[in-house]
Amino acid sequence: MRYAYYPGCSLSSSGIEFHLSFQYVARALGIELVEVKDWVCCGASSAHATSHLLSIALPVLNLSHAEKEGFDRLIAPCLACLSRFKAANVEMKSNDPLRKKIHELFDYPYQGKVRVYHPLEVFLELGLDQIRARVKKKLKGLRVACYYGCVLTRPPKIAQFDDVENPQSMDSIIQALGGETIDWSYKTECCGVSMTLTFSDIVLKLSNEILREAKEGGASAIIVCCPLCQANLDGRQRQIEETYHARYGLPILYITQIMGLSFGAYPKEVGLEKLITSPKEVLGPLGLM
Amino acid sequence: MMNIVLSRDTLNLVHQLQRMTGENVMLCYQCKKCTLGCPSAYRMRMKPHELMRAIQLGQEEEIYWSGTIWICLSCETCNTRCPQGINILRVIDGLRERSKEVNYYNPYPVIPAFHRIFLSLVERFGRIYELGLAVLINLRMLSPFKDMDMAYPMFIRGKMKPLPHRSQGVKELQQVMERIRKLEESKLEN
Ligand code: SF4
Ligand code: SF4
Repeated sequence: MRYAYYPGCSLSSSGIEFHLSFQYVARALGIELVEVKDWVCCGASSAHATSHLLSIALPVLNLSHAEKEGFDRLIAPCLACLSRFKAANVEMKSNDPLRKKIHELFDYPYQGKVRVYHPLEVFLELGLDQIRARVKKKLKGLRVACYYGCVLTRPPKIAQFDDVENPQSMDSIIQALGGETIDWSYKTECCGVSMTLTFSDIVLKLSNEILREAKEGGASAIIVCCPLCQANLDGRQRQIEETYHARYGLPILYITQIMGLSFGAYPKEVGLEKLITSPKEVLGPLGLM
Repeated sequence: MMNIVLSRDTLNLVHQLQRMTGENVMLCYQCKKCTLGCPSAYRMRMKPHELMRAIQLGQEEEIYWSGTIWICLSCETCNTRCPQGINILRVIDGLRERSKEVNYYNPYPVIPAFHRIFLSLVERFGRIYELGLAVLINLRMLSPFKDMDMAYPMFIRGKMKPLPHRSQGVKELQQVMERIRKLEESKLEN
């Protein structure tokens, strides 16, 4: 299956290992990714806090590029981008005056034909059997917490994916790879990343709660599916430990990294060396790296 | 004790927001579900359900003074759980958008400043240049070395680029942003 691929700003820099590992897994599963031509930033949370029109226009600009190239499916791995793209599609379908305004802004009138997916949605559509069939190394003995972040499933009217309060998609993939997942109540709690450069105290508090709950639940790593969650939980972990006098040492891995390792990738191929909290202590003894 | 005078104008804000966002704040019956699930309510002077009541009562000045709209993390929990189906975040976004037009005190000017810096970088390069964004916002907050301990490990792993990357699509983007600006300015003049 061919997909337009919108990496977004994070996957080109702080989330580079998500990009690398997703490419690896996509290749293994026969998912063809074609980067959207001349893509630009989707505006993330700054556009919708500034102008509703702008917050729809920026995703539409990218969607129309994909549509012009003949794609009807687009993958956006960053949750901030994903939710903006999905919201734009819903608005373009249901809000007539807004659609008219948007069409006046562009030379090409976007027809709303491009459906937007997160990598997890694509994996689940392919089916767990396809994933099981690729496994070379089972995740035996690995016990993780799957953290889904804020807007993968919210609001359900727009996200239309997985259970809104207790999602299972990543859990089911980890289990298909032979690993174990913990049940915990912080799967979709917000990590606060939108304030990361401004009011970091909020971010430290919220992220601390997520790390603490995962640790207390008996997880030895957290699995994520968004570059912003990852940058926050991994990049700020040292600061959080200092602020809250705790010791977590939890590696924060992308779902695609752990899938790649289980499919037989070398650590470098899925960018493991890019992680700040090294997963060596956890994955080494299991023969995964 | 604050005095609230109800008059014909009390509902102006409700109507304006409904025109902007399509959301009817009058549907709120103060069940507090939004506040109970809100991750940043602990840091808000006016909690989400209080914000909804304040809108119903037309308490604009109090709303902007509280700064609540800038403390909201846009996590969409309140929308998802509101039994009345109100898209609370959309209402908050409406208030944020309106803040450019009204002149009330804002206790947290750094947040709209962040959005302005973010969007100006997007307009310049077509993509976000993380290091530039961090440096500019740190300067704005007068704390140039904030989070150096976090940036360094990312830098040596090649996760933070020293220089911005310009998208080929930036011309088209600038054109669209310019058109939006014109449209919104003409709306303000009318
Ligand atoms: S959840 Fe909805 S109805 Fe309940 S207080 Fe909040 S806005 Fe009002
Ligand atoms: S969207 Fe804002 S107000 Fe609503 S729950 Fe999240 S942080 Fe609170």
